[in-house]
Amino acid sequence: MAPKLQIAHLGKSFGELRALQDINLVVERGKFFAVVGPSGCGKTTFLRIVAGLEPASSGEVRLDGRAISGPGGDRGFVFQTDNLLPWRTVFANAIIGREVAGRVGPVERQRTLELLKLVGLEGFENYHPRQLSGGMRQRVNLARALAIDPQILLMDEPFSSLDAQTREIMQTELMRIWETGRKTVLFVTHQIDEAVFLADRVLVFARRPGRLRESVAVELPRPRTLAVKRTAEFVRYVDHIWRLIEDDVRASVIEEKV
Amino acid sequence: MQRAAEPAPGRRIGLPRVHVAGAISVLCGLLLWELASRLVVANALFLAAPSQIFAAIAGLADSGELWRHMSISAVEFALGYAIASLLGVVIGYAMAESATMKRVLQPWISGLYATPTIALAPLFILWLGIGIWSKVLVVIFLVLFPVSINTEAGLRTTSERLIEMLRSFGATSRQIFFKVSLPSAVPFILAGLKLGIGRGLIGVVVAELFGSRAGLGRLIAQSADAFNMPDLFAGVIVLAAAGIALTAGFSWLENRLVPWTKD
Repeated sequence: MAPKLQIAHLGKSFGELRALQDINLVVERGKFFAVVGPSGCGKTTFLRIVAGLEPASSGEVRLDGRAISGPGGDRGFVFQTDNLLPWRTVFANAIIGREVAGRVGPVERQRTLELLKLVGLEGFENYHPRQLSGGMRQRVNLARALAIDPQILLMDEPFSSLDAQTREIMQTELMRIWETGRKTVLFVTHQIDEAVFLADRVLVFARRPGRLRESVAVELPRPRTLAVKRTAEFVRYVDHIWRLIEDDVRASVIEEKV
Repeated sequence: MQRAAEPAPGRRIGLPRVHVAGAISVLCGLLLWELASRLVVANALFLAAPSQIFAAIAGLADSGELWRHMSISAVEFALGYAIASLLGVVIGYAMAESATMKRVLQPWISGLYATPTIALAPLFILWLGIGIWSKVLVVIFLVLFPVSINTEAGLRTTSERLIEMLRSFGATSRQIFFKVSLPSAVPFILAGLKLGIGRGLIGVVVAELFGSRAGLGRLIAQSADAFNMPDLFAGVIVLAAAGIALTAGFSWLENRLVPWTKD
């Protein structure tokens, strides 16, 4: 399959601190990649570099063969916090990426309305963010990124601020939405079960310096439902990934205490 | 009081009760005032009763005097306020955008904001004459600084996360300004403009006291010279009413323009 995203010898340093070291990676078109790792492994920095929000210190990132040098409308970023504009309605928030690109005609409006319907917000187009629950706000966050019809969707722990039940609902919702368009996705999370449930491939990061430890192919059949989380195969994947990062997680927990 | 009958949506419970309590409080105060001026002071040279004041307002309105003074003060206030608002937003923007501009302007803004510039009114009258422009200048001096300080603060405190969200779509700095920074500064700018109302009204009247041909300050000054307490209080009451009405209108505007700041 054609590579959508190619990353070669990517490195990032913040002064003395080496946040990322020699990341090499190929993401095929239409695949769902998850990135897991302990806090401080540079997984969010990695995603921000791909988004162009942060410059790389070395190496390069290519999207459809073109080296990226800054943010752009070919990538849709779903933020950890919803970052909705409080003075805009749900619809006006969702269409803002199109506005930035300078094209807001009937076609774009129609597509944005359809996306809001797809993420389950039909009838809420004229609500303001303060009138929505956390889960609904994250749905707008997702619709906003999808509305620009990006080549790749970059998701930075989008469900981490939600309660456990809402998070599970949002995971299945994301799977349902993803099945309709099969966008290429890079999804950062600190939850191993979330990564295994969603992804075709889980990239396990290690810390100090942040690097790619192992790339785990998840061969669970699709479409997946929450029931898959109780299968022995699913648990085996989770256990395997947990063992890869266990020592790192313990080390980071002790550091945070100090 | 007309507005109490149709409160803004979402405030159906709170607003009428506040208005009723406020109205009772004002009525009780007026009653005490009336009784005090009739029974305790009982000298029209020292205190006018509310009934006399309202009669004076009606008399001034009848003769056309009230409108003449009010319109002059209103024009002075409106001109000064409009110029100061525009200039204040521009200065605030310049300070938020450029660190150099901020360093250059900050000492002047801070210094003049703290200075009782109203004391300079006689000087402005010497420069510009006793017509409206000396008062306009006083109003500008009083309104400009809260507006520019708030505009700068509002633009500067724009959420970095919201800016980054827009940047992720490849937005230009111009798009970031108009789609994020400016709207998120609007509540601050409105708060500065609201502060400016009271300061501007005081500026108009005090400047008129120092020297003018007409205006509510003139009315108050000439009534004081003639020991006409009802007319003096009439001028004060009309001013207070204007201040309350303008501030209430502004609060209504805030609810309309920036409802997200109310939760």
